[in-house]
Amino acid sequence: MTDNLNPDLTSTTESADESFQTRANTIVRAADHATPLQLSNITIRYGGDKGGAEPVTVVEDFSLTLHAGEMHCIAGRSGSGKTSILTVGAGLTLPTSGRVLWEGDSLEKMGDDEIADRRRALIGYVDQGGALIDGMSALENVLLPAVPDGEVEQRTEMAKDLLDLVGLGRRMRHRPAQLSGGERQRVAIARALILGTRVLVVDEPTASLDRTSANRIISILKDTTNDGIAVLVASHDHELVRLSDTLTELI
Amino acid sequence: MNAVQRFIRSRVLLLTAAILIVAMCLSVFIQSQSQAALNRTVDENSRGLYDILVQAKAGNNKAGGALIQPDIANGQGGISFQQLEKIRGLGGTSVAAPISLVSRVTQNLETPRLDAMDYLGYNAGLAGGATAGDPTGTDTKKWPAPESVLPAQPKKYRLTASAVSSDGVSQQTLFQTSAEGALGKGQVIEQQTAGGKSIRIAGPAGETGIKFPAPAGGSEHNLFNLSVALPMAPQVTESVVAVDPTAERALLGSAGDFLAPLQKAPPADTRNAGAIGRYFEQLFAKSPTQQELEQGPDFLGVKLKYWAPLMTQYQQAKLSGQITDASQAIPLIVRQGTSLDLKYSVKIQEIDDSGKVVNDVGTVSRSLDKDYLPFVSKSPFALQWPGSTDHSQLLGNTGNFSQGLYQPAQWSTDFAAAPKYKDGDTSANGAVGKSATPGDWVTVNKLPEKSAFGAIVDQAQRKPVDERSYRENLPTGSKPATPLPMVYGTFDPAQIQKAAGDVNKLPLGGYDPAPMTLQKDASGNDTAAKGLKPSLSATGLVSQSAGAITDYYGLAAARGYNTNANVIDAVRVRASAAGNWKQAQPEVDKLAARIRDLGLEATVVAGSARQDANIFVPGYSKDDAGKESALGTVQQSWVRQDAADAVSGSLTGTNITLLFLALCGATLLTGASTVSYIRQRRSEAGILRAMGWTQRKIRSWVLEEFGIGAAIVALAGIALSLLSWNLATVIVSASVLVLYSAAAYIAAQQLRHRDVVDQEPQHDERLIAVDSPLTFAYRQLVTHRFSSVSLAVAVGVFGAAVGALIALLIDIPRAAGASALSGLASAAVALPSVILAVSGVLVGLVLTLVTGRFELQARREQLSTLKAMGWNPDMLGQVRFFENALVGAVALILGVLGALGIGLLLAPYAALWAALAGVLAVLCWIPIATKVVK
Repeated sequence: MTDNLNPDLTSTTESADESFQTRANTIVRAADHATPLQLSNITIRYGGDKGGAEPVTVVEDFSLTLHAGEMHCIAGRSGSGKTSILTVGAGLTLPTSGRVLWEGDSLEKMGDDEIADRRRALIGYVDQGGALIDGMSALENVLLPAVPDGEVEQRTEMAKDLLDLVGLGRRMRHRPAQLSGGERQRVAIARALILGTRVLVVDEPTASLDRTSANRIISILKDTTNDGIAVLVASHDHELVRLSDTLTELI
Repeated sequence: MNAVQRFIRSRVLLLTAAILIVAMCLSVFIQSQSQAALNRTVDENSRGLYDILVQAKAGNNKAGGALIQPDIANGQGGISFQQLEKIRGLGGTSVAAPISLVSRVTQNLETPRLDAMDYLGYNAGLAGGATAGDPTGTDTKKWPAPESVLPAQPKKYRLTASAVSSDGVSQQTLFQTSAEGALGKGQVIEQQTAGGKSIRIAGPAGETGIKFPAPAGGSEHNLFNLSVALPMAPQVTESVVAVDPTAERALLGSAGDFLAPLQKAPPADTRNAGAIGRYFEQLFAKSPTQQELEQGPDFLGVKLKYWAPLMTQYQQAKLSGQITDASQAIPLIVRQGTSLDLKYSVKIQEIDDSGKVVNDVGTVSRSLDKDYLPFVSKSPFALQWPGSTDHSQLLGNTGNFSQGLYQPAQWSTDFAAAPKYKDGDTSANGAVGKSATPGDWVTVNKLPEKSAFGAIVDQAQRKPVDERSYRENLPTGSKPATPLPMVYGTFDPAQIQKAAGDVNKLPLGGYDPAPMTLQKDASGNDTAAKGLKPSLSATGLVSQSAGAITDYYGLAAARGYNTNANVIDAVRVRASAAGNWKQAQPEVDKLAARIRDLGLEATVVAGSARQDANIFVPGYSKDDAGKESALGTVQQSWVRQDAADAVSGSLTGTNITLLFLALCGATLLTGASTVSYIRQRRSEAGILRAMGWTQRKIRSWVLEEFGIGAAIVALAGIALSLLSWNLATVIVSASVLVLYSAAAYIAAQQLRHRDVVDQEPQHDERLIAVDSPLTFAYRQLVTHRFSSVSLAVAVGVFGAAVGALIALLIDIPRAAGASALSGLASAAVALPSVILAVSGVLVGLVLTLVTGRFELQARREQLSTLKAMGWNPDMLGQVRFFENALVGAVALILGVLGALGIGLLLAPYAALWAALAGVLAVLCWIPIATKVVK
């Protein structure tokens, strides 16, 4: 991704109501790609507590194959399990049952350290709200993923380029508290891309953003797919749904 | 919602107020209780049997809180009877009891013997006379059949006699001597002689008997056994002290009743030894009744139970010409038992003609023990051949009447003075380190030059032993005539010690010598604490209670002076002022001043207590080459002047320090909870501002909530102050209220409307780049300075509190062990003080938990973010560890300095341990906190 950002994406926004499908109904709109991420028959259940609360099954028998260069949107009401699917896909939590495959390798066979190493190389995760680290500048936040490999210095120029690309070239020394919500999201996306990730997992990137800021985020995400990066995004945003290559609607 | 409801809803404020009130109550309660207990303990125990110790001006003691060495009856003298009377004549004197060391008496015990049962049965010619007139004797028809442990045909035996003495640390074999010969069963021989028949007991044919070198003598058959005279037992030296029995009884109370017979002793002009000896000879010429013999004949109103030793010694001394017209009988109350460790053993072996051992018959031994009585015990080392039975009781009680010393005791005025002590360093608790400088070596365990019958004694049969006894001669005037000991009764030193108690009682001279316990060997290494017993090895520093007590007429007779010499070593004065030490102190001080005006040294001992002093003892023993070896460091109970004030001051200081710490903890807790409150209420304040509330109204809103808490705290403080009626309580309550008010003001200020938006500066390039878990952790701590510093302070307080607790735990046993008084005082305040210290630790712990939770959620979210970015669990663990380690590093400084400071305040000698405990507490916190954040 170099010059693919489309600042005029707002003009393409339209209603996505007709695109919403029933649960687990995946619409494939793009050609076959390599499959960096695959979820197979995933069930996610949160156990009851000692107070007697019943276990809650938020996702049941869910499958998804994410291809390179594809943007897949998971839509659905609050509590329908969107974030759970993303965290499972990013290997941050393990499903109750089912398999998560990264480039064909099942996470079941991997230890925590290996998952962490593979995640660093494969997946960039953007939390809802950006989840930047206080006390660190935008540039330092972008460089955080490079710390484990000791590549902070080598990737500094790339980080600056990424911040330029997301339109924050002049804000790279600012701290999270000095950035707006949209800016924090863009820093988080830049951070997710710093290690040359092949899958971008993004949770509600446009929530609580104004339309202009939201469109800017969507444009960035769409452009990443042009570089062959697969994007798995959870969102209610109709524009994002509309521009997604594939869609899963959770009920 | 009104202020009260808001106050209750705000759990933080409620909790803070509750904790402050609890801390206030606890502090005040413990402080008042422990102080009361301390005062009560000190007052009740700091006045002993006497208040003032009077010594001659040149005494060894020093004024001003110094330690007084235990042996005050060292033969120094220096106080005259005129001075004693002047002391007694002073207005404030209730009792003035003099005490002096009279003499050292060397006891020549009767020759030890080994009795082998060789009972030949009843024989009218041999036993008839002995049993005549004694109703306690066994009827002749009931005498058992003859029996003997000796063979009918003599066998050859080797006897090896040895004596061993031990001081509990080292053992010394004083001698080991062997003799051989044939022994066999005796027989009755009847021979016709001119005018009648001769009946005697003789050994069998072929018996050679066994004879040790002089002065022991040989073996002899008698009515019930074969008796082998063994080598002489080592000489035992006993001390004799003089007291005024009337004053002494007044001093000791009922515990001094044993001195009653001494009060009935005749005056000096009726104590002529020859006259008394003749009186007893004449008494026994009249055939006393059996009851008289058992109870002892009456002598001027006193039944002399131990008349036999008196008669034996009188007759022996008269025989040897020692008794002169100037000799006086000295009435004595003798000590029951001895702690001298002296064991006499005889190994019996049957041998063949070539000297080869064919049968080990056995080893028999006896030790001096509680049955031993100085001047009375005749045969402490009468040993029985294995398998023997004592049939002498067949004759009745007559057989026991011959008890008494074989030879007169040798009285000496070569006094064993106290060693020369030199002050060393003064430790933090005021105890003075000392070293003992030995005097000249004296040889003991010698044999007399001649035996009782004038035979030359073989000096080669035992090894003389060097004893460090520090003797100093005291010129006393004319050469004393040989005295005649006259035993009036006995005393139990343990009972006197018990009566004197263990607190604030100076050693009562010869009654109550301070024991010594070896703590470190000569190399300075710690050893298992061993009490040093009196022994005949090189134990010159160790003494036991006086062997006998006499009166001052006895002292005059033993020392041989005729004029009123200054022979009183010390006078123990009890003031007439009543009440406990605090009440009597002014009068006691006045009396001491008056005594000093008489030219004497007066040491006020009331308010003092025993305290252990460590003394290094060089030159304790010599090897065969004459090389001296040190004993090591011994601990001896001395007396510390002004101990009551020292103990009271020290432990009061401890409590005040702990109170201060509790208040510091409360301050930090209040600060932490206030910060928590501000964080909770900041968003609410923002909403209220948005609703149009003014800055003034928001401040009122905050202060109202705090006001409720302040009112409760103030009410509690007033109630506590009124209840305790103590200035300290008022100060503590006021401090807590001020603290709480300050917290309210700070909270109100923090929640004020900010007119100018604080612009956070841009990233500072001078900050260390984040390129590792360590630098990440550092950045986070720098970013969240307040939380980090709060946590570091909390952990530091925790470490300091742990240090304080450790210092206290070390100090209490130390204080308890330092002196008997401080032991009681420590016991009185130990529990409250430990509760207070534990409370301090808990406050520190709560602080760490409260402050640690400030950023706990944010920390967890950060870690989740890092995890999502591919940081592996190990790196996340490193982040957590480094964050806590960095906090711990700051806390370590605070904790160590705090613990060190508290340790220096509480117990300076334990300060390093307190600091170490603080370090360990903080170091332990780091992994625990790391685990918690996970």
